[in-house]
Amino acid sequence: MNNKKIRVLIAKPGLDGHERGARIIAYGLRDAGFEVIYTGLRQSPEQIVSAALQEDVDVIGLSILSGAHLSLTQKVVDQLKSKKAEDILLIVGGVIPEQDVASLKEMGVAGVFTAGSAVSQVAGFISESVAC
Amino acid sequence: MKDDQNKCDCREKREQIAREEKSWRENLVNKRVSRYNLEKSPTCFYTPNAIKDFDFLEKVGFPGQYPFTAGNAPFDFAKANEKLAAQANYRPDWGGSRGVGKYGGFGAAADYRDYLKRMHSMGRFGGPNMAFDLVTQCGYDSDSPMAEGEVGRVGVAVDSFRDFCVIYEPYTGDLEIDKVPSNFTINAPCAIIIAMYAELARSRGVDPAALRGTPQNDILKEFIARGTYIYPAGPSLRLFRDTLQFMRKHMPLLNVNSIGGYHIREAGATRTQDLAFSLANAAAYIQEGIKAGLDPNDFLTKFTFNAFGGSMEIYKEIAFHRASRRMYARMLKEDFGVTNPKAMTIRQPITAHIGCSSTTLQRTLNNWPRAVVGGVAAGMTGSLPGVFPPWDEPLGLGHSQEAVQMQLDATRILMHETGLTDVCDPWAGSYFMESLTDELEAEALAEMDKIRGMGGAVAAIESGYMPKAVAKSAYEKQKRIESQEDLVVGVNCYTSDLELEVTINREVEATYDPALMATCEERQKASLRELKRTRDGRTAASLLSSLRTHAKDENRNLMPDICDCVKNDCTLQEICDALREVFGEAQPVKL
Repeated sequence: MNNKKIRVLIAKPGLDGHERGARIIAYGLRDAGFEVIYTGLRQSPEQIVSAALQEDVDVIGLSILSGAHLSLTQKVVDQLKSKKAEDILLIVGGVIPEQDVASLKEMGVAGVFTAGSAVSQVAGFISESVAC
Repeated sequence: MKDDQNKCDCREKREQIAREEKSWRENLVNKRVSRYNLEKSPTCFYTPNAIKDFDFLEKVGFPGQYPFTAGNAPFDFAKANEKLAAQANYRPDWGGSRGVGKYGGFGAAADYRDYLKRMHSMGRFGGPNMAFDLVTQCGYDSDSPMAEGEVGRVGVAVDSFRDFCVIYEPYTGDLEIDKVPSNFTINAPCAIIIAMYAELARSRGVDPAALRGTPQNDILKEFIARGTYIYPAGPSLRLFRDTLQFMRKHMPLLNVNSIGGYHIREAGATRTQDLAFSLANAAAYIQEGIKAGLDPNDFLTKFTFNAFGGSMEIYKEIAFHRASRRMYARMLKEDFGVTNPKAMTIRQPITAHIGCSSTTLQRTLNNWPRAVVGGVAAGMTGSLPGVFPPWDEPLGLGHSQEAVQMQLDATRILMHETGLTDVCDPWAGSYFMESLTDELEAEALAEMDKIRGMGGAVAAIESGYMPKAVAKSAYEKQKRIESQEDLVVGVNCYTSDLELEVTINREVEATYDPALMATCEERQKASLRELKRTRDGRTAASLLSSLRTHAKDENRNLMPDICDCVKNDCTLQEICDALREVFGEAQPVKL
């Protein structure tokens, strides 16, 4: 493993304004030694993927609490495909009903983190996934 | 002479208590602390010396009288009718003819209309208590690229006055809009919704002066917590002023706003930040009203609060509500010269509660006892002992009928079986509670001074201070949970395989039809096309252009323009866009 810090983009797609989780994850991953960029609210899937490419990140974390997680995540996945950036690890957090977790994983989401998840869990997951 | 003698006795007593306390600490407490290998005692004990200069009339007073520490009133409507409610098997959850119905809204305007009709057919006659979709809340139309996937999702889509009229179709006759109230949970485009409400009345020959209800209309907390802002804070506050002037003149029965500390705490604020930021926001609104030449003794009687935030820390939440009432009343009297007692109370539907963020997904049924703790705190702070939220809140699928039943019954048990609410402010005079109340008040006042030093709420929002402070507090809390400094049962402790996941049957009422949700975006777009095809486009364009021109004049009230726009089928986004051109847009806060 090289010593380069893992770069993570935490993004809020769509119009959902609940950013407590996104910010906690951003602060927490930063303290855990990651390089973190937080987009702020109301980013389109296009903006998110282009920010990810520009910042050369290893991971995109989407935070969605509005119930629009399936359509918004699909759009980000499509963008990543069209930009040939599928190597970027995609994780999703927020209010995600259990029955939607499988659909997200089928789309190509590597990990789904719902309420009660610890930042250390997310950090551990990213380190493992990016390292191998 | 007698007074002096009393004072002397008092001082002697106090000194005696202090001596005794010292020896108790040395002989009993410290020994235990070392016996159990602790750094300090895990408990506290309070003596009269904790509140040495306690002045009852200054600090507490009587329920319903300044400074309102002991409550807004000696008792309220619900308490007065407590027995009757039980004897009549009353169910409060669906709204009667006096109040609004259950908070809701989804899909296209016609979908929500049909939902309301269905509620009426089930005998649930409460007024509309509208949730708007995020598209509407953020000032877009359903055909905007920003709207994709979000139309009708967390509330109903309202693109135009026509949509608004469709929603109200079931409200005629006995349910005419001057007979039932309406609530509108919307902030940035609130002026437009208020204009629609007034125009709806006018179109029906109803006097807007007879309309009742509550628009949320609390834009400042959106920048700190909820995120559905459009314009920067300054012009947003100007729009608030315009609605305030308009409502006081034309819709005097309508509440002006519902100021939310709740959202701020749920976003992660500490108790002190919740209190200080909410009151700083309230001060900004009041200042704006006074600047516009309105009398706070009048308009403050129509200010409401959407409850402050809550937590599991029951003592601190009780102190919080005592402190908040006293601070608000004092601020109004001392800073704004308010004299009308009716203008000095924090009018809110409930007082203490645990806050939805105290509920856990893990072993979800445990949220029931959690919510009961909030109900006890509410009952002790001058409110109905409301047990909130239903235990299945974090499942995110709508509350089940079972969870709602358990919530209702828990509240009823506290009301009828415990005597909890038979005493106003049962903690008044407690050495512990009075000193905790003072402490919280002092901390919040210091934080408010800090904000005042920055130039007030608007400046503290624009500099990013308030949103960032909340985000940092949220992160600190998370760190305390992950390090097990704060314990949450089933989340970071008692998580072994020996624990049992208890579940019960859950029946979630099918309120929102998924098939309608799937097509509502297309249907809203079709209605918009139809609207733009059939309206008088030239009039709409010229009204939007005068709105733009008038918006540039800071002193001009925009409500007449907005009413004209609404009435002539300008869309919600067109109106918002016209103002965006003049006011600019608020930028999201980075880390």
